[in-house]
Amino acid sequence: MTASATVLAARVARRLGSAVAVLLGAATLAFLTLQLIPGDPVSVLLGPSNAGSPEVRAEIAREYGFDRPVADQYLHYLGRLLQGDLGQSYQLQRPVWSLMADQLWPTVQLALAALLLAVVLAVVSAVATAGRRPAFRAVASVWELISASTPSYWVGIVLLTVFSFRFHVFPVAGAEGFASLVLPAVTLALPLTGVLAQVLREGLEAALEQPFVVTARSRGVGRTAVRLRHALRHCAVPLLTLTGWLTGSLIGGAVLVETVFGRPGIGSLVLQAVSAKDMPVVIGVVLLSAFVFVVISTVVELLYPVIDPRLRSA
Amino acid sequence: MRPTLSRLGRTLAVGVSGLLLLSACSSGGDTTAEAAGSGKPVAGGTLTTAVDTEPVSWDIHASTQDVTAEIARGVFDSLVSQDSEGKFHPWLATKWEVADDFKSYTFHLRDGVTFTDGSKFDASVVKANFDHIVAKETKSLYAANLLGPYTGTDVIDPRTVKVNFSKAFAPFLQAASTTYLGFYSPEALKAGAGKLAAGGPADVGSGPFVFSAYTKGQSATLTRNPDYAWAPETATHTGAAYLDKVVVRFLPTASVRAGALTSGQVQVAKAIPPQNVTALKATPGLRLISRANPGGNYNLWLNGSLAPLDDVRVRKAIQRGIDVEQDVKTVTFGQYPRAWSPISPTTPNYDKSLVGSWPYDPKLSAQLLDEAGWTGKDAQGYRTKAGKRLTVEWPQLSIQATREGRDVLGQAVQADLKKIGVEVKRPNLDIGTYNTKVYGGKANIIDLSWPRFDPDVLWLFFNSGSAPAKGGINATFLTDSSFDTWTDQGRSTLDEKTRADVYPKVQQRGIDLAVVVPLYTQVSLVGQSDKVKGLTFNASNWLTYYDAWLAEK
Repeated sequence: MTASATVLAARVARRLGSAVAVLLGAATLAFLTLQLIPGDPVSVLLGPSNAGSPEVRAEIAREYGFDRPVADQYLHYLGRLLQGDLGQSYQLQRPVWSLMADQLWPTVQLALAALLLAVVLAVVSAVATAGRRPAFRAVASVWELISASTPSYWVGIVLLTVFSFRFHVFPVAGAEGFASLVLPAVTLALPLTGVLAQVLREGLEAALEQPFVVTARSRGVGRTAVRLRHALRHCAVPLLTLTGWLTGSLIGGAVLVETVFGRPGIGSLVLQAVSAKDMPVVIGVVLLSAFVFVVISTVVELLYPVIDPRLRSA
Repeated sequence: MRPTLSRLGRTLAVGVSGLLLLSACSSGGDTTAEAAGSGKPVAGGTLTTAVDTEPVSWDIHASTQDVTAEIARGVFDSLVSQDSEGKFHPWLATKWEVADDFKSYTFHLRDGVTFTDGSKFDASVVKANFDHIVAKETKSLYAANLLGPYTGTDVIDPRTVKVNFSKAFAPFLQAASTTYLGFYSPEALKAGAGKLAAGGPADVGSGPFVFSAYTKGQSATLTRNPDYAWAPETATHTGAAYLDKVVVRFLPTASVRAGALTSGQVQVAKAIPPQNVTALKATPGLRLISRANPGGNYNLWLNGSLAPLDDVRVRKAIQRGIDVEQDVKTVTFGQYPRAWSPISPTTPNYDKSLVGSWPYDPKLSAQLLDEAGWTGKDAQGYRTKAGKRLTVEWPQLSIQATREGRDVLGQAVQADLKKIGVEVKRPNLDIGTYNTKVYGGKANIIDLSWPRFDPDVLWLFFNSGSAPAKGGINATFLTDSSFDTWTDQGRSTLDEKTRADVYPKVQQRGIDLAVVVPLYTQVSLVGQSDKVKGLTFNASNWLTYYDAWLAEK
């Protein structure tokens, strides 16, 4: 008990260490990016369609400390980050943190719905077809391949055209109630489903070759029950890893989906910030993504031993 | 709408005075358009509009965006309103006097105007707003420029203000008619720039609508102000607006906007792509309104200070060697008219006589190039002189180039010029390099458009005071005394006769010197349901919701 607690503590400490390193790296990269963009930082902050009088420019330079040496600016920037201050959006003149907080919930809703849908669909597809007749498999893997490789931008427009514009089943967009979540969630889930199902099926098929399947079957356990109770558990670790990794990519997917569907969220926030060159916001979202990624991969790693007892003593 | 401003951002930053009139988007008056309703208006209902851009900042005193000013027009009133002929009419000011030297303007304010938070509109509010615009903390990127050489506002009595300038400032009335110089309630001003920029109920004005809700990334909602009783004379009715609510949805994807319109989920959709126009027109219950934007067309500017275009014959050869008619028609699906003048036909003092005056004539081009000494020919078929190929450089900025199919149009131009033996190089540059090169006068050709409802835009294009080195956009790189004389004369007076004399001359000379090749006039393509009546456009082609109503059907 104490031994495993020590192992767990060490693991958590290691994860925390690497989490801090990742965040520091992301923050530094974001800072460097702003430095490396051609043109002076005041112009970059002003964005493409703004002129800015000398007075305005001086005010911005003073506010952001551009009149100080780069090393000084970097330390100041890190210092502020440590205090949880992500700075202020130039364009919106609001703290980046509060902007992101306002837009977070719709994106979390969308991401969770998409993730849940993707995992359910992938499990159903893989369990139903693994090791079955080749024709089944072929159909399933073709559909998975298509869903994994079709641009979600396009999927979103097709879904809208059919279910919103033609049959009026769902509203075009927005984030008002369940109905407006369906199409965006499906759009975001489809590429994930494809990837997850492919990996899961291969895992299942490998597991079904294992001797324990024969043992279980010989005890009179049904075919489907073997898959669900035994084989699926074997694939759970790679599935979890992959899901964790894909969750990190959901913010990227949300940019497109939120734009097409006119939904509020982090995705549409960052798209607008990028096009307006609102760098404090862009940097804020980059750091948020890095943070989410770190949290998810930590959780995933801590879950391994829960799922697979063989990993507990490692 | 303020496309090319982007590439100019840095260069422009330097010159405030040059920016004075850079209202790539401006003017505030409303005009009844073809959309004017039939039948008796009924009150009530919600109008939902889909637009392609979401305001980055909602602060009318700080923002530069057309879309901010367009939506906020319903919430904020101005001192005067301008009609589509350019004439000014009373609004919050019942009358005004302009000093002979254009250095001060005295406004007599309307009585009984209240903001939607209950506070009163008076002379001190005008002063507070104008002072707020020029305050450093506001970080105004546009309104402060519209105020020009502003030195302050004198409150003469509660109903009278005098606005002062350090230099003659003829365009002030026009500036005062825009949303950017609209009025916040005193309480709203106290709330601070952050609150104003964030949008929603903090943005309190005296307009026909209240900014009742805003969900970033989704929509903005305006609700009727029942007490509104001070409509500008340019509107078609008085009193409160007909609509209960206006919901503006932000749908950046063109096909989604069009689909939302055809399926009845929105009643108005802006920025319909040209390729969707035919389908939309064929849909029962919908119609399309297409209106040419005022101001600078989408033009090619030829750098007259740099070889080989320092020779007017070579410039002329290029101007006549591009099949503008055909190229524009193909690329814009026939929706944008080809241009003949650097400014559009909907701009005051447009020179009609230029139409048809410089048709496509590759034979003439060949002859001009021969005369200029470009008589050789290399293996690729390009003309040469003393062993040097006739090459021009026209840099592009990838983030802007695809807009309105400009990249494709550029290829058509390239192909046309290849036929007359001119090589066009189109390097793809990042914004920093682009600005340095283009505004440093190191490129041969620059493309840009500049919407604005005033022929003074010609000052920006041709006056040496607007040279890129001074933060301007004069991409001809020529100093021409007649350009300077005429455009200076035009901007220092509101006298119709003078303006009608000098501005056509400028357009004519620009074409004669072949420093400009106008390509097309940008057009606003707005789709709307037949149920929508009375929706009007102002001089800048922005939708105004005040007179709009929904027919029951």
